[in-house]
Amino acid sequence: MIQILLNEWKGWSRTGQFRWLFVGLVGVLLLLSYFGVQDVRNRQALVDQSKREVREQWENMGPTNPHGAAHYGSYAFKPLNSLSALDEGVNLTAGSVLRLEGHVQNEVVHSAQSQSAFISYFGPLKASIVLQVIVPLFMIFLTYYAVKSEHEQGRVRLLMVQGITYPKLVFGKVLAIWILSLIILLVTLGSQIAIFGAGLEADFLLRSALIVLAYAVFYLIITSLTASFCAWASQGASSLTFMLAVWVVWLIFLPKLAGWYVEKQHPLPSREAFTSAMREDRSKGIDGHNPADEREQAFKDSVLMAYDVQHLDSLPINYDGLLMQADEEYGNKVWDKHFGSLFEVMQRQKTNLQLVGLINPYGSLRSLSMGISGTDQWSHLHFQKEAEAYRRVFIKELNDEHAYGGSKNGDWGWKAEQEFFNGIEDFHYTNPRYTQAARIYQQDWFNLILWLVIALMSLGVATKKRESKPL
Amino acid sequence: MIEINNVTKSYKANLALNGLNLKVGKGEIYALLGSNGAGKTTTINLLLGFLEPSSGEIFLNGSKPHVDRKVVSGNVAYIPENVSLYPYLSGVENLDYFCGIAGIHKSKQALKEILTGCGLQESFQDKKVSEYSKGMRQKVGIAIAYTKDAKVLLLDEPASGLDPSASNELTALLKKLASEGACILMASHDLFRVRETANRIGILKQGAIVEELDAADVTAGTLEEMYLQYMKN
Repeated sequence: MIQILLNEWKGWSRTGQFRWLFVGLVGVLLLLSYFGVQDVRNRQALVDQSKREVREQWENMGPTNPHGAAHYGSYAFKPLNSLSALDEGVNLTAGSVLRLEGHVQNEVVHSAQSQSAFISYFGPLKASIVLQVIVPLFMIFLTYYAVKSEHEQGRVRLLMVQGITYPKLVFGKVLAIWILSLIILLVTLGSQIAIFGAGLEADFLLRSALIVLAYAVFYLIITSLTASFCAWASQGASSLTFMLAVWVVWLIFLPKLAGWYVEKQHPLPSREAFTSAMREDRSKGIDGHNPADEREQAFKDSVLMAYDVQHLDSLPINYDGLLMQADEEYGNKVWDKHFGSLFEVMQRQKTNLQLVGLINPYGSLRSLSMGISGTDQWSHLHFQKEAEAYRRVFIKELNDEHAYGGSKNGDWGWKAEQEFFNGIEDFHYTNPRYTQAARIYQQDWFNLILWLVIALMSLGVATKKRESKPL
Repeated sequence: MIEINNVTKSYKANLALNGLNLKVGKGEIYALLGSNGAGKTTTINLLLGFLEPSSGEIFLNGSKPHVDRKVVSGNVAYIPENVSLYPYLSGVENLDYFCGIAGIHKSKQALKEILTGCGLQESFQDKKVSEYSKGMRQKVGIAIAYTKDAKVLLLDEPASGLDPSASNELTALLKKLASEGACILMASHDLFRVRETANRIGILKQGAIVEELDAADVTAGTLEEMYLQYMKN
């Protein structure tokens, strides 16, 4: 086996075309790693600078009415995961900045796609695209030529007379090509780590190891399947055509078809329908029988009763602050209801798309690549939920100050001191650890392992069958 | 060592071998003489275990080669008409690789001596095979077979592409191996080379042996006459 492996490598290293192709591929990956890391660094620096500026403005606001400050608001910036230099995931379209203010829950904005016409047309060129699309194609051609050349040149007979079994010969070639793909993968990831100079945090190391594992399994699936098609097919070119057809189906048709089907099965509401339903619930009540004016009246009565007074002016606190907080809390319930069902639909969509991985391991690899890189939908929603949780605390602090800080009802000119605002903590968010999300990707791992077993079994059966009829 | 009993082999409607009977013993060189399509290569492929006979039995050292592949890998060396080597390896590297596959490990110097013994000039031994002529590749093929120290040698047009001097060297080598106890079956349509090399000659026509001769009993002229007569009929 080792001899076959070394012979393959020797062959590649002495073939000019291969050398150029390999150097070109690795060169492109190194360049993409460099630019990817630079991009992440620049964006992270911009995020850090924006955070500083937002905080600076907040701390230099001077005495202000708390409700005015709630409208002034703050921002939540999504921190970049180091591995997003490798796989951008949904960050491309999902955005990274969320404005936090009173009364409304905004959407995350400033996506790469919204800021670049080029990216919106073609998408960014990331190392993950080369690793997911180009490297497997390279593996397919390499495997095809490695197996088929032995037949076409007539060496198989001589080799088998010398004592090698056909399965061993083909598996040796598969192994040689697979290890080559691992080298490409490790060089890419290693260069990113080297350029980044990222600290060797346990989570980062775990994610890096899992990225290598996911891609390694996928590459073994690709090389084993290609080799088994070569062994099955009596005519050389038909196996290549077949494997390329499979690749196109995996890469283009199945993801689109699956996306269309999942959207049809679990449709998401349009933006207009969604916001108008939210508005409706907020004004007419979640159950439709609890309109805003009635809610306000009931709340007013409960406050007057609690303080045992007849009029709002008699309250020792500022009723406006309490009312705004009550309205805020009702708004939160509306948000929880609508976003809750939205997240549920998204989760169902994700689960269904993951199941498609049973017939498309490429889909599972993409899902895992994004998931492990921390740039998938789950990570984005995690940020959004955490930001919303912070917004609620942030707005409550302002409303409480408005209510209990010393002002009276209707006193909109009242101002809280700067010290109060300085005491409100910023939004601190760290990306979740992989272990927090690991269970979400179980289906993807299962799909890849299943396909690996299928590919290896297919290779075993095909080569065994071919051994009995090698001519 | 080689025993073929009433073997037929058909490819769909085409009958390649039609009741072939053949025995080659230890120390014997048997030449199958026949035109293209007579069934020579099919016979060799059957002996290599790459094909299964449609009927009849084939034995190599007492075992059926298409059933027991180890009898082939353990006992047989094979030289095809066109020896396909790895073009990016040198002659000595090719020999090393094919020997390594057979579990034979020799020093570079020993391998070079074998190549020299098989007629490959020293100045070419370290050059890439892509620069070799057909005859030079054939010599590496002979070296691969020789190094295996096999009990049975199957040769399909082994002198194809060899110059007269190399052909003579091959004849001498085969005779030496036979004298050491090897059983050799060669397929050829080179009457002269066959008569020079073999002990026995079988004329193969339409998948069956139509005439079997002792090489010592026949002159080159008579052999040619007989052969042409059979081909004409």
